[in-house]
Amino acid sequence: MTNLLEIKNLSVVISEDKRVLVNDVSFEIKPGEAVGVVGESGSGKTLSALSILGLLARGLKIESGEIRFKGADLLKSSAEDLRSIRGKEIAMIYQDPMTALNPVMKIGEQLQEVLDSHQHQITDQKTHILNGLAAVGIADPNRAFDSYPHEFSGGMRQRVMIAMSLLLSPELLIADEPTTALDVTIQRQILALVAKERKRRNMSMLWITHDLGVVANLVDRVIVMYAGRVVETGTVDEIFKAPKHPYTAGLLASLPAAGRDRERLESIPGVPPKPWQVLNTCAFAPRCKEARDICSSHRPELTSNESSSVACFFPLGVKQ
Amino acid sequence: MSLSINNVTKRYRIRARKSVVNALNGITLSVEKGRTLGIVGESGCGKSTLARLIVGLEPPTEGSLLWSGSPLGQGVKNTFRSRHSKTQLVFQDPYSSLNPRQTIGACIAEVLKTHKLRGDAEISARVIELLAVVGIAADMQTRFPHQLSGGQRQRVAIARALAAEPELLVLDEPVSALDVSVRADVMNLLVDLKNKFNLTYIFISHDLSMVRHISDEIAVMYLGRIVEYGTWDEVLNNPKHPYTKALIESIPEHTNVRGIDFENVLEGEVPDPANLPQGCAFHQRCPLAVESCKLKVPELLNATKSHLVACPEVLK
Amino acid sequence: MKTSTGRRDWVHYYFKSTSGVIGLFLVLVMVILSIVSALNLAPIDPLEQNPIDALQGPSGTYWFGTDQFGRDIFSRSIDGMSRSLSVALLSVGLAAVVGVFLGVVGGFFGGWLDNLVVRASDVIFAFPAILLALAIVNSLGNSWIDTSIAIAIVYTPIFIRVARGPVLTVKEMDYVKSVRVLGFSTPRILIRHVMPNVLAPIVVQIALSLSWAILTESGLSFLGLGTQPPDASLGLMVSEAQALASFAWWTLAFPSLFITVVVVGLNLVGDGLRDALDPARRSSG
Repeated sequence: MTNLLEIKNLSVVISEDKRVLVNDVSFEIKPGEAVGVVGESGSGKTLSALSILGLLARGLKIESGEIRFKGADLLKSSAEDLRSIRGKEIAMIYQDPMTALNPVMKIGEQLQEVLDSHQHQITDQKTHILNGLAAVGIADPNRAFDSYPHEFSGGMRQRVMIAMSLLLSPELLIADEPTTALDVTIQRQILALVAKERKRRNMSMLWITHDLGVVANLVDRVIVMYAGRVVETGTVDEIFKAPKHPYTAGLLASLPAAGRDRERLESIPGVPPKPWQVLNTCAFAPRCKEARDICSSHRPELTSNESSSVACFFPLGVKQ
Repeated sequence: MSLSINNVTKRYRIRARKSVVNALNGITLSVEKGRTLGIVGESGCGKSTLARLIVGLEPPTEGSLLWSGSPLGQGVKNTFRSRHSKTQLVFQDPYSSLNPRQTIGACIAEVLKTHKLRGDAEISARVIELLAVVGIAADMQTRFPHQLSGGQRQRVAIARALAAEPELLVLDEPVSALDVSVRADVMNLLVDLKNKFNLTYIFISHDLSMVRHISDEIAVMYLGRIVEYGTWDEVLNNPKHPYTKALIESIPEHTNVRGIDFENVLEGEVPDPANLPQGCAFHQRCPLAVESCKLKVPELLNATKSHLVACPEVLK
Repeated sequence: MKTSTGRRDWVHYYFKSTSGVIGLFLVLVMVILSIVSALNLAPIDPLEQNPIDALQGPSGTYWFGTDQFGRDIFSRSIDGMSRSLSVALLSVGLAAVVGVFLGVVGGFFGGWLDNLVVRASDVIFAFPAILLALAIVNSLGNSWIDTSIAIAIVYTPIFIRVARGPVLTVKEMDYVKSVRVLGFSTPRILIRHVMPNVLAPIVVQIALSLSWAILTESGLSFLGLGTQPPDASLGLMVSEAQALASFAWWTLAFPSLFITVVVVGLNLVGDGLRDALDPARRSSG
């Protein structure tokens, strides 16, 4: 099966001083596949996703790499081509729907605008929009059509965002922590909605989050990032049941969970480094129980083994 | 010694909307010295309002809050400013809870000086001692907050609260804003400090797994009321109230891959606190609701000796 | 990650901006000239009339030429600058002290006091600055202190507004709440924890208001209020030069140039300070 999206050796730097934020990241998404990218703040997970749509903030730039969508390198595409891909073939939902929706425009107009800007050949646009709103669980689509974003709760606004992103039936949905700001019961509603729509449309998805629980319940495959690098990839079962990278394993062990001992948490000492401080070593070495000399002098490359890959000289559960 | 919260109500008048928000409705709770009470609930449930009342940032509209018999809430301004409070608060966001223009050493020293907790000669030694207690090296004391990581700032905020020699510490989402890999460290520190200084904790969080980890007792709040209260084991392993059940089922657990149930999802949203429905505030979303739930606010009743539930349907 | 202490940071940052340095240079030149004049070190007495030398162009003796009474325009210009700067400093000083106090106290405590402060400043805001200053000078008198008070009244509401806004934000910050929980006294919270965090916009406002105050003072003098003849004032000199400018350009050009230089200088300083004191702009570098 060919890949829908392929990121190869992507590096993102601060333009001014060339400090590296995303360091040589590669991963791919197959058609219909849901991939989760997990990492802490500063791990480069959001920047990697924003790079795909060419939405990096000013002051940041892609230093090197390829981003292939259906074979074509998006980094070499014209602004016009990129614009037609955005929204139509790749859509994105954000953490804060309040800032992602225009506060002075009615919901209906904003959805209409999405259709207009892509000259979509849909004859009855209003019906298409109302159906879209109904599909994301908005009880009264007609009223929602004529409402402003502030008239909705956070959960409802996120539903509107999802409706908007699905309007043109994209092949890939990129989600940047869209449920982080929501209450848990509302988060579950949104996760259920996304899971259902994804299945129905056989859509690919890239879900970015720091919440391991969400990833364990929503995606097929997981990419773990740390300090600007991919440190481990694998199916959701591999990552959560038999993690190979000491960072992944440490993180999973550090979190309290049902049925777990309440005595003491297995903490990871220290704090994550900045990506530019650890370009040529294992970024996790200073905090790692398994670390040896080589870890602080050489950089472990991501090596694949069937469905999984790990960037570690001494991966867990592998005979040395 | 204990904290007792007696029938506390807090209402806010919102002038612009000409409405009244009932943030807390008749909360009664007690926490024994040395215990940890976990308070869980979603936004608008009143957990942060309760935290502010306990530390005396605001007085209650009705009811009283007592710490070992002396009032914390009413008329708090006078008693509270003349002698420092035995209750302190640790905020969620360590990025905004420290004055950006004060070094961390100065911010702790200021507490000691203001309340004359140490003589001038002993202050610097005490600052170093407090920083050591939370695991911050002495040479960091000349740094400004923006030079520290989130976890370090939260440790400083904890050290500052400890400088006031509190007996009760209110922890309002103390690890939610921190990076996942440093949360365990701060949680372990909190447990150590509690044992070391014989503290009493109120641990407020939306994160059920953290509450489960640290609490002796748990209170579940929904729209300004306690809907379930009991030992952590009773509340989390044998939840009675339909809201508590839904809350627990909604947590995506990383130890339970693909375990979350996306079919039977609790629908609906939390009603507007300014416009509460009649009767049980949960009845519009509740799978068990019957006609009587729309009429009368259910009381917290005993399911077992230590387990209270505000739902007559599950107690039948 | 920044490792500097944050306090002297902004000075360093300020001097990295070319326009800020130019502004500071212009302002310093004017301040030094004013001091020279105030110490009676001007080359020629600004009030001395030499009818024989009336309306001479710039020369080695009269650097900026002379006016219709043969008075030295350079000496009169720096004398006028000294008077303008005195008025500006006194008026902005008064406005800043009163305005910041009312703004901080009103914003922090809220309630009827805050309402009163906001309403009163709205009323003052409703008048065009120069008209209000005119009316006040008219009822107070023409001394430089009266002029300063008039300008101070006009600019106080700006300082109320500039101080009050950030105080409303800062008082809701967790670090202010946490020191309240720690039982610190209100004056201490205001002085140690609120004020330092609202200072930046106030400093910027002081620089900008100084330039406006100089313009207002010149405007008042131009209109015949404020400084009275024979004392020199830049505004008065411009006013008197109107009739002469067609055949003695220097009578108008040099006083106008002085006003322009100091106003531009103060504005550049204000802009430089705004950039230097804003941590968000700094940290992006």
